[in-house]
Amino acid sequence: MSRHRTAFNPRLMIATGVALGTLALQGALAADEAGQQASQSAGPNAEAQDPALEVSRSQSHYALPPIKLVRDDGKEVMLADELNDGRPVVLNFIYTTCPGICPLASHLFSELQHDLGAERDKVHLVSISIDPEEDTPARLRAYAKKYSAGPSWQHYTGTVASSLAAQHAFDVYRGDKMGHTPVTLLRTAPGAPWVRFDGFPTADMLLKELHDHPQVAAASPPAKP
Amino acid sequence: MAPSLWRSSAALLACAFLAASAAGHVKPQSSTDKNVAETLYREGILPDGQPLRGARPGSIPVEGQAAACGNCHRRSGFGVEEGRIVIPPITGKYLFRESTTDVMQMAHPDPGAEAAPARRNRYSSETLARAIREGVDPEGRSLDYLMPRFQLDDADMALLIAYLKGLSVKPPPGAVGDMLQFATIVTPDADPVKRDAMLDVLNHFFGNKNAYYRGADPPLQSERRIHFRVLRRWQLHVWSLTGAPDTWDAQLHHLLKTDPVFAVISGIGARTWEPVHRFCESESLPCLMPNVDLPVVNEQDFYPVYFSRGVLLEADLIGHRLSADARSGAPVHVVQVYRPDDIGAAAAKSLAASLASSGAKVTLRELKAKEPAHELAAIAHGSSPGEVLVLWLRPRDLKALPSTTSASRVFISGLMGGLEDAPLPTGWRDGTRITYPFDLPKDRGIRMDYPMGWFRLQNIPVVDLRTQTDTYLACSILAQAAGTMLDNFVPDYLVERVEVELSRRIINGYYPRLGLAPGQRFASKGGLLVRFSEPTGKKIVADGDWVIP
Repeated sequence: MSRHRTAFNPRLMIATGVALGTLALQGALAADEAGQQASQSAGPNAEAQDPALEVSRSQSHYALPPIKLVRDDGKEVMLADELNDGRPVVLNFIYTTCPGICPLASHLFSELQHDLGAERDKVHLVSISIDPEEDTPARLRAYAKKYSAGPSWQHYTGTVASSLAAQHAFDVYRGDKMGHTPVTLLRTAPGAPWVRFDGFPTADMLLKELHDHPQVAAASPPAKP
Repeated sequence: MAPSLWRSSAALLACAFLAASAAGHVKPQSSTDKNVAETLYREGILPDGQPLRGARPGSIPVEGQAAACGNCHRRSGFGVEEGRIVIPPITGKYLFRESTTDVMQMAHPDPGAEAAPARRNRYSSETLARAIREGVDPEGRSLDYLMPRFQLDDADMALLIAYLKGLSVKPPPGAVGDMLQFATIVTPDADPVKRDAMLDVLNHFFGNKNAYYRGADPPLQSERRIHFRVLRRWQLHVWSLTGAPDTWDAQLHHLLKTDPVFAVISGIGARTWEPVHRFCESESLPCLMPNVDLPVVNEQDFYPVYFSRGVLLEADLIGHRLSADARSGAPVHVVQVYRPDDIGAAAAKSLAASLASSGAKVTLRELKAKEPAHELAAIAHGSSPGEVLVLWLRPRDLKALPSTTSASRVFISGLMGGLEDAPLPTGWRDGTRITYPFDLPKDRGIRMDYPMGWFRLQNIPVVDLRTQTDTYLACSILAQAAGTMLDNFVPDYLVERVEVELSRRIINGYYPRLGLAPGQRFASKGGLLVRFSEPTGKKIVADGDWVIP
């Protein structure tokens, strides 16, 4: 899968009011027609502004095979069903004993959840463990509590094979768990392209992606099966 | 996120520094100050009890444990690599050292393929304070986004600086010059066959290691550069304990004082390992222990590392299966049989506790007679319909079982009973499930080729395959971890490197996977229930999937 990425400065982007989400959506639709992928950039000079916030954004369609996972409430679920409940999805991969990257990724979700305010439950936050043998549902629940996860933020574990399948499906597998890199994926509706952030986006960036899409406001949280 | 991340990571080198002069003439901290500073470093709690606070650019603040330096830079202060992100070292040695462009100026020999650290001048007290509070390095470059910008007053900063200055500075007496000292521990009740099998492997491994030694290397550190690595000799001390377990702690402390070692590699016991575990933790001594079937489970402990939870894992595997039955509404009566002076006693109590909320009735039966045939016959035929027998017994007792049983189902501990070598009477084999916290023999074949080939090359007779394989595996992990430490031979860093290197291995002998991380001290997490597939012989098949109970 080839993917064109360009680094940009999110603060610069937000400050200048670039409607990135809208542009991205248009680009993705065009890419759909062409059967290819599209990406957007805030310009070649952005990185030089603030290398500390380096992050790249791209769009992709991911083919999702049938993957059975175990949700943090202990229930076995199919990943596709969890992702396709009609709501926008923000997805990441974590493990509960991770020293550096995951706490920040989970902190970001916590912040996003807070910033969504009244719309919190209209967006499904999904965190999948890349260390499923250690991360039992009980451990995931404790981890979720640490980050004040609300009812629309679920953590998932499963077999090693199913976790690997999910990592491969979203092109985040990097060998052992200590080889992982920070990736946040966002999709505004089933069938829409995934927006992929490599690096650490801010909660504002994710919010902007979500708010630029009308489905966020329309989506209602489904009853948990 | 590529080279500039490395650049900013290399510049990150901070969590604190002020007060002291650049090259640092800091008075050694008092033990009280050190404890307070350690709490700040590891737990993110300020001396006044308030949480440490910091914030990343454009993000909400972090505080307390989430802001603690040690989360990312680790207890040792030598940092860690995660993917292409390098959390750099923040010990005084690295912060105050004049930078070069040599990759090996960093602690990590594996910093990522395409990145190289940028040149960075040494920190002064002023630039460090600015780095910690404002997030810029001595050259004015932004530190990595991962690094929070901290709110620390001058006094707290000074405290932390002094702590970092002394962090991981002093090598332990077991790692002096070009010699690394290791011990292995043998308890008096250890099986002599297993003991000799383990020592055979250890002695050959150490002999091999030293065969490559070609004289002392120059010191790793200089103002100009850091060499890639040095070869060091390894010396093994065999600590053979005597007497009752309550005397082992004193013996171990005496042995450590007499022969200071850097770490404990392997060891073998029988009924209890708790005194050894407590000793490792109290002495801050890394202990990599592959051959312990009843380890101590304490998630707060840092230094003892095991391959699995042993019989406690087996208890959970059985509990997982029986709980499902009990939840389905079928009445379950579980009779557990064990010797009160063996490790099965702890396993039986663990299983009883895990079944307490399931609705299953649990009866504990202690086996006391030296010749237990009569007792076992009564247990085997005295069962009520639907009764489940769980046998925490050694082969000696399994051989004394009657030829048949009236129990509807039987579970035996594979670790205690001998796995596929368990001497079960023919009439028991069909209805018995064996706990098997390993890959099946057919699935581990290729992985076993490595240790088996090594044993052949070394002319080591295989007398206890599991003990020998696990010992060889532990030695390999230790060598791999020590080989990535440069000259930073401090105990905390060894444990941290074992966490990383063990998780990267593919060749793991009996185990399908091994993995550790901060707070994880049992490398293999799950197991199988298996049964014999034929009336005689050793062929086994899995009864269900690999389970993480």
